[in-house]
Amino acid sequence: MIEYEKYRLGNGLVVIAHRDETTPMVCVDVCYNVGARDEDPERTGFAHLFEHLMFGGSKHIPDYDGPLQLAGGDNNAYTTNDLTNYYLTLPKANLETGFWLESDRMLELAFSKKSLDVQRNVVIEEFKQRYLNQPYGDVWPLLREMAYKVHPYRWPTIGREIGHIEKANMQQVKDFFYSHYAPNNAALVVAGNVGPDEVFRLAEKWFGPIPARDVKPRNLPQEPEQTALRELTVERAVPNNAIYMAFHMAGRLQPGYFAADLISDVLSNGNSSRMYQNLVQKQKLFSELDAYISGDFDPGLFVVSGKPSEGVSLEKARAAIQEELDRMAQERVSEYELEKVKNKIEANLVYSEMSYHTKAMNLATDEILQDASLINTQIEQYRAVTVDDLRDEAARIFRGENCSVLNYIAKNS
Amino acid sequence: MINRKMQPPVSAIDRFDYIPTQKLTLTNGLPVYFINAGSQDVVKIDFIFEAGTWQQPANLVATLSNNMLEEGSARFEAAAIAERFDFYGSYIQLSADQNYGVVSIISLNRHLPAILEVTEDLIKNSVFPDHEFGVLVAKNRQRFLIENEKVKTLCQKKFTQALFGMGHPYAIKNTVEDYDRVTKQQVWDFYRRFYHAGNCRLVVAGKVDNEVLTLLEWHFGGTDWAGEPVLQFNYPVVPDPVKYHHVDKPDGMQSAIRVGKHWVHKTHDDYIGLSILTTILGGYFGSRLMANIREDKGYTYGIGAYVLSLKEASYLVISTEVGNEYVEPTLSEIQNELKRLQDEPVSADELETVKNYLFGEFLRDFDGPFALSGSFRAINDFGLDYAFYDRYLETIRNINPVEIQRLGNEYLSGDEWYTVVAGSKS
Repeated sequence: MIEYEKYRLGNGLVVIAHRDETTPMVCVDVCYNVGARDEDPERTGFAHLFEHLMFGGSKHIPDYDGPLQLAGGDNNAYTTNDLTNYYLTLPKANLETGFWLESDRMLELAFSKKSLDVQRNVVIEEFKQRYLNQPYGDVWPLLREMAYKVHPYRWPTIGREIGHIEKANMQQVKDFFYSHYAPNNAALVVAGNVGPDEVFRLAEKWFGPIPARDVKPRNLPQEPEQTALRELTVERAVPNNAIYMAFHMAGRLQPGYFAADLISDVLSNGNSSRMYQNLVQKQKLFSELDAYISGDFDPGLFVVSGKPSEGVSLEKARAAIQEELDRMAQERVSEYELEKVKNKIEANLVYSEMSYHTKAMNLATDEILQDASLINTQIEQYRAVTVDDLRDEAARIFRGENCSVLNYIAKNS
Repeated sequence: MINRKMQPPVSAIDRFDYIPTQKLTLTNGLPVYFINAGSQDVVKIDFIFEAGTWQQPANLVATLSNNMLEEGSARFEAAAIAERFDFYGSYIQLSADQNYGVVSIISLNRHLPAILEVTEDLIKNSVFPDHEFGVLVAKNRQRFLIENEKVKTLCQKKFTQALFGMGHPYAIKNTVEDYDRVTKQQVWDFYRRFYHAGNCRLVVAGKVDNEVLTLLEWHFGGTDWAGEPVLQFNYPVVPDPVKYHHVDKPDGMQSAIRVGKHWVHKTHDDYIGLSILTTILGGYFGSRLMANIREDKGYTYGIGAYVLSLKEASYLVISTEVGNEYVEPTLSEIQNELKRLQDEPVSADELETVKNYLFGEFLRDFDGPFALSGSFRAINDFGLDYAFYDRYLETIRNINPVEIQRLGNEYLSGDEWYTVVAGSKS
């Protein structure tokens, strides 16, 4: 159980304070309710590029990192399809520097041309380093494009193509800032060795004067139900064939999400999981095999990805995966298996509570998703899942017409 | 109105108390270092064996031997071992590096009896079944082939080979043929020779109460897995006379770069001062390499300089991946930054920022049981004690621009630098 206090400023900013006296540090986490799903389809990768620009100086503070390092701080940020999260950690005595820095860049960015020019380039190099120049680096973009025809999850956070990033201009940057970066579209979480009164006092002082902004309610096109199997085969210069199967599944706040998560655990979490034991160890059909969920806020994907062993055809590999999926959809798992995957969820919850930093991030993302209280209540939803739920949810998900298959063939060089 | 232009006052947190490590010796002489810290009922136990690539007779043997531990023991088949860890939400991590083979377990305290029961058997009575061995080798082989497609992997391999010479265990030189050559006998012999109480120490962190210590004595304090400490091997370093290497990787969009040289050992008097110098150069986001090559030029997503301190040797390496067209300008900017640290004293402001940043890092490195355990290993592996950290803090407090420049001139000059670029030769 994680205890916290929540307070809303006049401008709409939600402030959450969690005290953890076992650390000499504090974490300041500012999570904005904007991600790649809010992008214009012709300007993808913008939310992430913008994350980089948030480090290029703000209205009153030309350099973000210098003063933070002077205070003994460290920071980072990430962008997902759903949100953009910024976090820093500091020795508790220097907490106010965190408020000073984060409030100024929420107030207004410097919008420096130099920063835009350089960060465009940095992001393009990131695009190459993490995706284009990596074996299997284009798998996710291909899968997304196949599985989604309408919803903005059809492109990855890095963007659909380098060209979109090259074209970003300052007016777009400003528009993006004023339409998404606002106290009424963010959550501020402070976790660590500080009490709520101090947190709320500093929040009023530094964030209170920031005006609320006109943030348009999100109105995303929802993905229509898929009605036929989709399949794509590509050839790439990689050492091994690979197969990917992506199924539509429930979003984070929909019934079925927790069962789907547990299904992925039964199939592939840990060496005792079904797919590892049956297909990797016993039958030696795969050298790598995973099942996982994308964890998206809106309806996301349940993905099975495998690299068949040498001499095993993709057809055979796919049939073996399908057999495991069918078994999930047709037969109940044992009570023991369900207990096992639930135990793991419970243990992971305890491990995550060891870190003030993890707690801050979880509180922030839960608040943006719906409400910070999810951090304590989600576990109940896992506990409530039954063996029947697993079978029924598997039957809903693992249907051929709900599936996109990517055959990734190693080109003989 | 608040003044948004002025940074709130900051203080340098340059003194603090850390939770000390305690030592206990089990009946059989096995040393147990433990740190009782943290608020959760969680414990992490590292079994550290002197069984790394330093000790191995052929490529792959140290890693395969280590990884085979969970593939079946006298009382538990591989599947039963996996089942036990998964059922209790516990984790076993097996890893082998240059000098050590490590078995790490993380568990809730209340499940520790069940977890240690299997851990004891897999460490003492592993059986290395043929089937599992075959699966493991095939899996690792495929993973190797994928890793070997990455420019950063190719670059790091060539870099360590140039630095140490092909006959040295710190040179990474695995080939795909090694996976066909390696035998179960080699891997089994390695296990029998190196995985015993005489070649082991334990580092335990988290909620370490008497119950935990009693369990450790019960499972690991006996003479049933005794062995003689293994004599130290020696290998000569044979640096490559050629200082620049290019590894061709056709069709790549980026090239990986490593620029580096041999460095002082962790026990050397200048080691701590040099780690401050390295931080200025490339050890944090505001470092000179990042400021110049990423934040000013935009050549890369990231560039850093770090010291890899190993038991028998250390090296400094500057590492990055850049678009092919930026290789030459990046190499030249790296040279400029190395030269600047020799030619000009660092400014008082920059030094103050680095000092405070390092004090903050210090706090992070000692925050929580897992961090404390890592910080302890970072000295214990080298035969150092906490006096090292006292000296570390004192050096940060006292170091000045003159000393930084002296270190720059003494250690960054000269022609002992190696440069390796892996990528498409455009």
